[in-house]
Amino acid sequence: MSKEPVAVVGIGQTKHVAARRDVSIAGLVREAAQRALADAELTWADIEAVVIGKAPDFFEGVMMPELYLADALGAVGKPMMRVHTAGSVGGSTALVAASLVAARVHGTVLTLAFEKQSESNAMWGLSLPIPFQQPLLAGAGGFFAPHVRAYMRRSGAPDTVGSLVAYKNRRNALKNPYAHLHEHDITLEKVQASPMLWDPIRYSETCPSSDGAVAMVLTDRAGAARAPRSAAWMHGGAMRSEPTLFAGKDSVSPRAGRDCAADVYRQAGITDPRREIDAVEMYVPFSWYEPMWLENLGFAAEGEGWKLTESGVTELDGDLPVDMSGGVLSTNPIGASGMIRFAEAALQVRGQAGEHQVEGARRVLGHAYGGGSQFFSMWLVGAEPPTS
Amino acid sequence: MSAILKAPLTVEFPFTRSLGPIQSAFLTGLRERVILGVRTGDGRTLVPPVEYDPVTAEEIRELVEVAPTGTVTTWAWNHAPRRGQPLATPFAWVLVKLDGADTGLLHALDASGPDAVRTGMRVRVRWAEERSGAITDIACFEPYGGEAAEAEPEGHSGEFDDPITGIVAPARLDYTYSPGRAQTGYINALVERRAVGERCPACRKVYVPPRGACPTCGVATAEQVEVGPGGTVTTFCIVNIKAAHTANLDIEVPYVYGHIALDGADLALHGRIAGIPYDQVRMGLRVEPVWTEGARYPDHYRPTGEPDAEYDTFKELT
Repeated sequence: MSKEPVAVVGIGQTKHVAARRDVSIAGLVREAAQRALADAELTWADIEAVVIGKAPDFFEGVMMPELYLADALGAVGKPMMRVHTAGSVGGSTALVAASLVAARVHGTVLTLAFEKQSESNAMWGLSLPIPFQQPLLAGAGGFFAPHVRAYMRRSGAPDTVGSLVAYKNRRNALKNPYAHLHEHDITLEKVQASPMLWDPIRYSETCPSSDGAVAMVLTDRAGAARAPRSAAWMHGGAMRSEPTLFAGKDSVSPRAGRDCAADVYRQAGITDPRREIDAVEMYVPFSWYEPMWLENLGFAAEGEGWKLTESGVTELDGDLPVDMSGGVLSTNPIGASGMIRFAEAALQVRGQAGEHQVEGARRVLGHAYGGGSQFFSMWLVGAEPPTS
Repeated sequence: MSAILKAPLTVEFPFTRSLGPIQSAFLTGLRERVILGVRTGDGRTLVPPVEYDPVTAEEIRELVEVAPTGTVTTWAWNHAPRRGQPLATPFAWVLVKLDGADTGLLHALDASGPDAVRTGMRVRVRWAEERSGAITDIACFEPYGGEAAEAEPEGHSGEFDDPITGIVAPARLDYTYSPGRAQTGYINALVERRAVGERCPACRKVYVPPRGACPTCGVATAEQVEVGPGGTVTTFCIVNIKAAHTANLDIEVPYVYGHIALDGADLALHGRIAGIPYDQVRMGLRVEPVWTEGARYPDHYRPTGEPDAEYDTFKELT
């Protein structure tokens, strides 16, 4: 028996900001969930199961969000589970929820991810004082910056490419009312003049720290037929993982990412992603990861990704827009960031992305990664139901 | 084989919590010696209150004052109180159904021993002298002779001047950490200023530090291999900001954080590069460790003066 097609019929986000001191964590997730239900014109009673994701426990000290948040998410008396794959968790969470529908375990599932970075300290959570170990010498940016330098060396990309990505994404964010950073006076010169934090990564090429949540209602064909607005249909979805560090790891273009993308394209019948995919919501926490992932995801040959960025292909009005929403560079509630990519991809094919809508987007990729470039999750959504 | 190392690891952080309207009213109430519950759609009163109805999932906001007296619905004796618990002497953990409430509130009961506690016994709140808007504003419960509430609650609205909107929730976990057999060997060799890794019997790759197993082949490793002391900088970044977690280290910015492939190792480890202006560090630079007295790890790596390694010799390690 073939899989049940999975449709996204409801999407809700909070306005992402530096600190939501007016709500509890329960209040925050509730806001996103209710917006998703309203979009789908459904009530709590229509939801059969809840799948929730957040970043590592130490980030907020909430060890069992599925226990704490059951009543806020109408999950009492229903199955509820938590997914955990570091920064990629939002994507993985959506895929676990989708699998419940695809396997016909449930007809309609609420999936949700959140982070309240203002109540936590991610840097502390990532640098526990493990006995006998050398103290870490650099933060998240310091972890990724050497890989960016390795990419620049391999590809011969000009130094300015990173600033182009940041300038583009921050301008895209101005068209997205839910984005955290709205830098109305952003200029390329300002990005290029911003302080060098972890050379080669500048301040304006790093992601903010955000409070926010995102939710989606996933359903089967019958649910999609009842939905008030057009659905986004899942054409492929996959996860892959590998160790943080191992002999032979390609930190610039990890094999887990390449394999994950290949699996998604195979499921979706994509043979030429550059031509057949209309836009990408890509997980880019540091600007240089756009050209790096363009190669890893098969949109460009090795060493060629930066040329797409530099020539404007990834601009909102380009041939392959990337991060139309402003991306992680403009909004980063860590645990939610992956699902925001998935949800924004779905908004595009539903034609519901508002000012940052890509005209005629029919097939859009949502991408997330996490840990030390070791967890990958992606889905490809389309405006039409899958044919096979 | 020498003994496997172990040491205490304490993980501690003062998490902050925004309370939202219901928890804000509840905790502010405790500060004012008022205990508030919330009314559900089916007319029950939940204490402590929650924001959403556990039956209907609807938002609930009707606050109800309950009495500071109640009945124990179940209990467990705590023989040996630990750090941070409500009482320093042995006490009973109790669920107390306060007069006017339909659910139990978890707290401590100050009693002389387990024989003095029973399900159904009457208890009352002992307020803390100093109250700040926290569950610890209830110091504990104590036995109470009366059958009825001491006084009828006055039906507080839940509106307070100067409400508490956020709290600090300190978390602390105490572990005994052991790095295991393979890393113990590595750490012990560092005392002699040697870097000793382990070779995978299947793929022949040398891991430094060793993990006791090859993550690619999934097999145990045992063959020890000394690597270094020289190595090659495979990639790096220049750190220009002093982060909180390095503030206690005596390192001035800018400094260079490098990936260093020690000669004979099949993946790079991380270290600081010094002894050369930061803007002259480059991929392929040949370096060696610099040790300081009493330190477990090299303080930093400095140039050896050898010619740079060819890119192709270390490209696979980046």
